Amino acid sequence: MGYITEGIIKAFELLISRDAETYSAILTTLKVSTYAMTASLALGIPLGFFLGFLDFRGKKLLRTIVNTLLAFPTVLIGLLVYALLSQRGPLGQYGLLFTLPGVAIGQTILALPIVIALTATAVESLDRQLRITLLALGANRYQLLCTCIWEARYGILTAAVTAYGRVLTEVGISLMVGGNIKWHTRTITTAIALETSKGEFAMGIALGLVLLLIAFVVNFSLMYLRQRS
Amino acid sequence: MIPLYEIKNLIHKYGEKVALKIDNLTISDRGVTALLGPNGAGKSTLLRLLALVEKPTQGQIYLRGEPVGPFCKAFRKVTLLPQQPYLLKRSVFENIAYGLKIRGKKKNLRQKVCEVLSWVGLDPDQFLHRPWYALSGGEAQRVALASRLVLQPEVLLLDEPTASVDAKSAQLIKEAVTKAVSLWGTSLIIATHDWAWINEIADRTLYLIKGHVLPSEMSNLIFGPWTVNGRFWEKRFRDGQRLLLEPPPSKDMDIALISSSSVEIFGNPKPVHDQNLLSFWVTRLNLKTKSGQILVTFSLEDVSFTLEFSKEKFSSYGFVPGKKVWLSFPKKASAWL
Amino acid sequence: MNTKKVLLLCFWALLALFLADLGLAEKKVLRMATTTSTDNTGLLDYLAPIFKKDTGIELQWIAVGTGKALKLGQNCDVDILMVHAPSAEKAFIKAGYGINRREIMYNDFIIVGPPDDPAGIKGMSATEALRKIANQKAIFVSRGDHSGTHKKEETLWKTAGIDPNKLDKEPWYIQTGQGMLATLNVASEKRGYTLTDRGTFIKYEATLKGKPILVILVEGDKIIRNQYSVIEINPEHCPNVKNDLARTFSDWITSPKIQQAIANFRLMGKQLFIPNAKTK
Repeated sequence: MGYITEGIIKAFELLISRDAETYSAILTTLKVSTYAMTASLALGIPLGFFLGFLDFRGKKLLRTIVNTLLAFPTVLIGLLVYALLSQRGPLGQYGLLFTLPGVAIGQTILALPIVIALTATAVESLDRQLRITLLALGANRYQLLCTCIWEARYGILTAAVTAYGRVLTEVGISLMVGGNIKWHTRTITTAIALETSKGEFAMGIALGLVLLLIAFVVNFSLMYLRQRS
Repeated sequence: MIPLYEIKNLIHKYGEKVALKIDNLTISDRGVTALLGPNGAGKSTLLRLLALVEKPTQGQIYLRGEPVGPFCKAFRKVTLLPQQPYLLKRSVFENIAYGLKIRGKKKNLRQKVCEVLSWVGLDPDQFLHRPWYALSGGEAQRVALASRLVLQPEVLLLDEPTASVDAKSAQLIKEAVTKAVSLWGTSLIIATHDWAWINEIADRTLYLIKGHVLPSEMSNLIFGPWTVNGRFWEKRFRDGQRLLLEPPPSKDMDIALISSSSVEIFGNPKPVHDQNLLSFWVTRLNLKTKSGQILVTFSLEDVSFTLEFSKEKFSSYGFVPGKKVWLSFPKKASAWL
Repeated sequence: MNTKKVLLLCFWALLALFLADLGLAEKKVLRMATTTSTDNTGLLDYLAPIFKKDTGIELQWIAVGTGKALKLGQNCDVDILMVHAPSAEKAFIKAGYGINRREIMYNDFIIVGPPDDPAGIKGMSATEALRKIANQKAIFVSRGDHSGTHKKEETLWKTAGIDPNKLDKEPWYIQTGQGMLATLNVASEKRGYTLTDRGTFIKYEATLKGKPILVILVEGDKIIRNQYSVIEINPEHCPNVKNDLARTFSDWITSPKIQQAIANFRLMGKQLFIPNAKTK
């Protein structure tokens, strides 16, 4: 048990002394997850809105597909994106394998179904009167979309937090697509996997604590925002 | 004069169910049009169509001669206050300012909002920054009305605006609406059960039932149950009187309409040939404030006829509630629904 | 609206950052696939800054087993390899995937196990020791990942007269499918024997603050020499590889100065690799 206590002590040492390797992994994680979240929210919120708001043929089938994708294993996404981005793959010419944008693509694929499905649910649960009210007040199609999304903001925030949690903690995509390159594509989770395999529990625990801390800060600030508004 | 609305060959369905079927209807411009009819008659549907919030399944609506629909050019001249208003999850100010903001009219925003807020009897100092969840039902309804009034609409459509609010709110809503009509010449179409209010302000009434609009002189309805008696359908009253009508043209029709113009009134029973003759009680007298005409309601159990009289004619009959009269009308209904 | 402006600014900043990350591909970056041992021991952490200083090229490495490293090279996803499985390397070059294989250094493989040595192999030759382990059915932990170490282990089993393919089903034979340090940790937990390169074992000792659970039992046998080489990816097979940078690295690491630097690299006061590049 000694090494666990030791790990926790070491964790704080690393954080307080601003250990370059630790901070590089933290920064990389924040960067890549921000890219992935920006892309998946920008794509997923409108798509989720249409899925929840409009009635069209094949909607149920589409919902089922999206819901199935929620359980997409990260290693499978990693494998797919790896195959796509490899020099021998169809997108090889862009040289995205083992880069952060490559990892961000994989994580976007991971987060997108979550954002779409939860946004659709949030929009579906909006009052039927909202649409009538907005049209009665003269909203055009674009304004209708924006206001509906704003009215569903708490549901969409939940979608974003859920997706962020998944992106932040996944390891399969980062490891396979990113290659766990030190100073470049080593994220908190891939570093933890590596440090554990090396038997360096302290570093692993330190990074795990940081991950928890980030999750806590994100959730706490959302709760604060929610209470304030 | 071009009518405010013209509706042609309109059918509106929800799924397979026909909610509204109007072959031809014109609604005159200016003034107040009251929309009457039982619950489920299609009043709310008609108001949503007139507000251009929904597109009719078939047919066309014209606003002042122009064909219109959702998102058309005239779309923003019309606004609707639904029966259960929805307030955006924002402050009272943002709710009322929303319509102006999306129109890009951001000048004097605060002043305009405060003005309509005081019209509906809410003190801006107290209510301007209230969140949406801190309002009573009546206050929410008034905020919703204010958010329509601030747009100075050319056409204002109200769906049961006073049905589910307290008496004070109802009064304030009525006052605010009246003010808009007299100040801006807003055309008002109201669906309501508030008879006193209709009699006070309505210039004309439309009666809706089962998705159809009745011509106003035909607003006398006879509901079933019917029994077959030879070649007639018969309605029996508890006091032994019988009413006979020729059967309707289609099986799914069971409400008979009797045109007011086909009804004759007698003070005493008098033999009639091939007509129904039934004794009714005078139950209600109403004055239409605007025209000076008097509405007299005659009732026999669940059947009520309402006829309109000029002052002179009314005094010659000497109607008072409780007076017994005999009404005669043909055995062929003017229409069936 | 101020919020809108702030959001817009954030978006542009993010885009700029993203483009900068994309642009890394344009910078002078040499991408190398290497074995876990060179990474785990910290040798590359030690060499990369020197390389950057000498040539201005940034070295990025992906640490995987030799088998996977060769696959990455075959797929053109890296520019150069640093691996340690000579026969597999030669096949790789013969297939036309790589060129210019140059030996750079070696260390040796050792067989480690619990200090009480239940199979009693201390001091034996490598093949004898393995035969004894198999006879005693003592726990043996294998990488099982087609890495250089794993390939070496298979060769040793064959030399000892045991078919490595039949070991799969033996209950005492455990395959981790992970890197060398991870495998050493598994061996410690299971109190088993394993074949490791000396460099990684020294690192393992260092991690455990000089209180290792495993000790060296077999060493110094000529058959268990561990030769490291660099191989440039064939630009004819992979037109997009940066062969110029790869050649620079290849020349640099075989230069006398860097060979000396490798000799000077120490962990816990112990030398890990012995440079043996042939000067041109």
